[in-house]
Amino acid sequence: MPKLGQTVEESKILKWHKKSGDQVKKGDVLFEIETDKAVLDVESFFDGTLLKIIVNEGETVPVSVPVAFVGQPGEAIPDIPVPKASQQADTHPFPVTTSAPHHAASRPSAAPTAVVSQPAQAQTPGKPARKTISPRARQLAKDCAIDYEKINGTGPEGRITEKDVLNYLAAKKYDDLKITPAAKTLAVKEEIDLLSVQSDEPGQISVADVERAVAEKPKEMSKMRQIIAQRLTKSFTSTPHFYVTVAVDMTGLLQLRKQLKKEGKPYSVTDFILKSCALALKEFPALNSAIHDEKSVKWRSKVHLGLAVDVKEGLVVPVIRNADSISLSELHEQSKVLALKARDGKLTPAEMSGSTFTISNMGMLNVESFTAIINPGESAILAVSSIIPTPVAMKDQIAVRDIMKITVSSDHRLVDGACAARFVNRIKDLLEDTTTWTNMI
Amino acid sequence: MDKYDIAVIGGGPGGYPAAIRAAQLGASVALVEREHVGGTCLNWGCIPTKTLIAAAAFHAKAAHEPPPGLKISGVSFDYKAMIDHKNKVVVKLRNGVAHLLKGNGVEVFPATASFAGRNQLLLKDSDGKENTLEAKFIIIATGCASALPSFLPRDEKIVESRSFLDLEKLPRRLLVLGGGIIGCEIACLAAQLGSEVTIVEILEDVLCVLDSDLRAEVRRSMEKKLNIKILTGKPLENIACNGNTVKGQCAGNSLEADILLCAAGRVPATAGLALERCGLKTNAKGFIEADREQRTKAANIFAIGDVNGKYQLAHAATAQGISAVETALSSRRQGREQIIPAGIFTSPEIGTAGLSEQDALKSNRKVITGKFPFAALGKAISSNETAGFVKWIVDQQTGQLLGAAAVGAHATELINEASLAIQAELTCEALGRTVHAHPTMSEAWMEAAHAVSGHCIHLPPKKS
Repeated sequence: MPKLGQTVEESKILKWHKKSGDQVKKGDVLFEIETDKAVLDVESFFDGTLLKIIVNEGETVPVSVPVAFVGQPGEAIPDIPVPKASQQADTHPFPVTTSAPHHAASRPSAAPTAVVSQPAQAQTPGKPARKTISPRARQLAKDCAIDYEKINGTGPEGRITEKDVLNYLAAKKYDDLKITPAAKTLAVKEEIDLLSVQSDEPGQISVADVERAVAEKPKEMSKMRQIIAQRLTKSFTSTPHFYVTVAVDMTGLLQLRKQLKKEGKPYSVTDFILKSCALALKEFPALNSAIHDEKSVKWRSKVHLGLAVDVKEGLVVPVIRNADSISLSELHEQSKVLALKARDGKLTPAEMSGSTFTISNMGMLNVESFTAIINPGESAILAVSSIIPTPVAMKDQIAVRDIMKITVSSDHRLVDGACAARFVNRIKDLLEDTTTWTNMI
Repeated sequence: MDKYDIAVIGGGPGGYPAAIRAAQLGASVALVEREHVGGTCLNWGCIPTKTLIAAAAFHAKAAHEPPPGLKISGVSFDYKAMIDHKNKVVVKLRNGVAHLLKGNGVEVFPATASFAGRNQLLLKDSDGKENTLEAKFIIIATGCASALPSFLPRDEKIVESRSFLDLEKLPRRLLVLGGGIIGCEIACLAAQLGSEVTIVEILEDVLCVLDSDLRAEVRRSMEKKLNIKILTGKPLENIACNGNTVKGQCAGNSLEADILLCAAGRVPATAGLALERCGLKTNAKGFIEADREQRTKAANIFAIGDVNGKYQLAHAATAQGISAVETALSSRRQGREQIIPAGIFTSPEIGTAGLSEQDALKSNRKVITGKFPFAALGKAISSNETAGFVKWIVDQQTGQLLGAAAVGAHATELINEASLAIQAELTCEALGRTVHAHPTMSEAWMEAAHAVSGHCIHLPPKKS
């Protein structure tokens, strides 16, 4: 299992593209993995035959453990246990080799040393202190698809007996429920408590009712959602956020953009925003810094802009490096390539890390204004809303202008109100003054 | 202006049961019908075709497949007399419906209805006399009609199904355009009486709504036993009428017949309803859309049966009509979706209920099937009816019976047991444990349920 990025501790094999016995050539896609950030193809670095797959589709294993053997037909395959993922990935019982990617898949002889122990099975967030129950009672509860945890046991030390289950069923009028045979089978299979199923027709439980209960059962989120949940909760609860909003008049810039498009320079509104941010961040380094620990701050000499991109199951944040020093056209190319890769799930972990400031652009989603949560390790984020034709006062007249609201969320430990206000106003000025851009292009 | 709780437009198998159910629930009911109560089903569809098919099937059996040892000679028929009998059956049933409506206190208006508002209908009778009535709820049950596409010449030798059933002479050569259910049923009917029949279907096969194993069984019988010529995947072109013959070409074949039956689809009957006056419109296919309770976008107006585009089946219309009325009058939320079985009266017959195998595959649902051939069933062998099979489509995870199909003798009767089992959400195991009377054709369902787990009593074990 290749280690594709600094923070990747384990990955899941989503799909094998080859099967045991298949010829593989250097560059062939062997399998697809899902890391905490993305779905990636893993290619073979060697020619040979796929001798044996040891980590199957759907299984998660720590990085650097062997997942299969590639070699010559007939070559002996070491007998090794199938590695299991550890929830405490940081305990990392597996040696990490320097040439990790493709190492294991390519050198069977080196493999047996890679896996030495079987870490603890992933533990489901369990019920505390399960009740004790007799085997007959447990079987009865299971056959009836009811949750025996709700039964008070009358046996020694509160042990639930078969009689307790029968009494419970009678008290709950279980026999009055009209449960269709298929509904009951499904409930037993899916461990649904039939006594708590809400039914469409009172007194009757059908497959549709049980299917609804199954759909409502808690289920594991995708790796991406888990990471989003973990990182943003941490950021939002540990960072003192505050928000400053300004309205930017984009009328001039939109005209300029139209003209540039005619000249064959199809810059997007995002390109101008990215560049304005990069320039403003050079002037306000506090918004490009990060809290290191309680007493220290990390200043960053470069501006690496993260751009939140909406993808199928969540969001990813590709990073445009050195956004302050590259030209507008380079920036345009880079952001276009990264956004396409993001949509196709082709971003590498390296392309998604190292940002110093992030922009969340909901311009295409028709929003008036919103606030964003700061990406962990950064001190601010800019929320960009849609451009909306709005009546505004211009001198003594009311005119309809293309107004876009931007809101900076800042970490108050590093950034004070006035600083944030000056920062967003600097971006506003840059975007409103088209001469900046005509000089630049 | 006369006021009613419920007004029903159309007295077919959707409309008249709706009216009766409404009357049973104590509502004052008006039923508007411009032709005959009973609708297409009773007058020009199910009932008349089945009357003729019953005779035709009997004829074919007597003439070509009498039970071994039985000698029947001089089998012949008088088609005109068959049509007269069919008309008598229709009148008898039609009178029965009229009687039931009257007995339940439903007021029947022989007129054409159009909307005058969300609660008002304008009625016009055949003399041009107009009348308006008002109703709290209105049920549109106007059905659909077979239509001749514009590319067909207008000639008395080119008919759709309704006019076909009134022909007093059976065509010696029949050309059928469209291999759907209606086309195949009438093709079998004519072929069983000795007509030379050719079916032209532009799709890849006839009866495309069915699973391929069912299609193969029926098609084999139609081609081999009834000598029906079936041309698929190509259109019928250069259609022309000349003297006593109608001619056409299909994929290089020159076809000639006495009658061309057009069975290429039916259109919903909404013309003249003036839907715009009640705020409704038809969808792109011409249907009036309705929700699960058959309510249209106008809260007091329901659309049931063929006109809402869900099914083209009389019994579906009936179920929808009853459900619509109960929803309107008791504001009771309807329970779960009902299973709608279907019977196809080809030779052999077909019955289907619930999910088909091909639909299950399309929806990526994991299903297993269990089949049992009639050739292995005592009753089928003893009555010389061994063609065909029954099949269960079963949820792989839970064993729930999701769908069923039967092809063979009595399939349209057999399917109702399957439909009941699916509606009751039985599992394959529960069905297999249900004792079936012996010797009966229905035992096939029990055996097919056993076949799902590979434990048929009356089939040799599968070699693995």
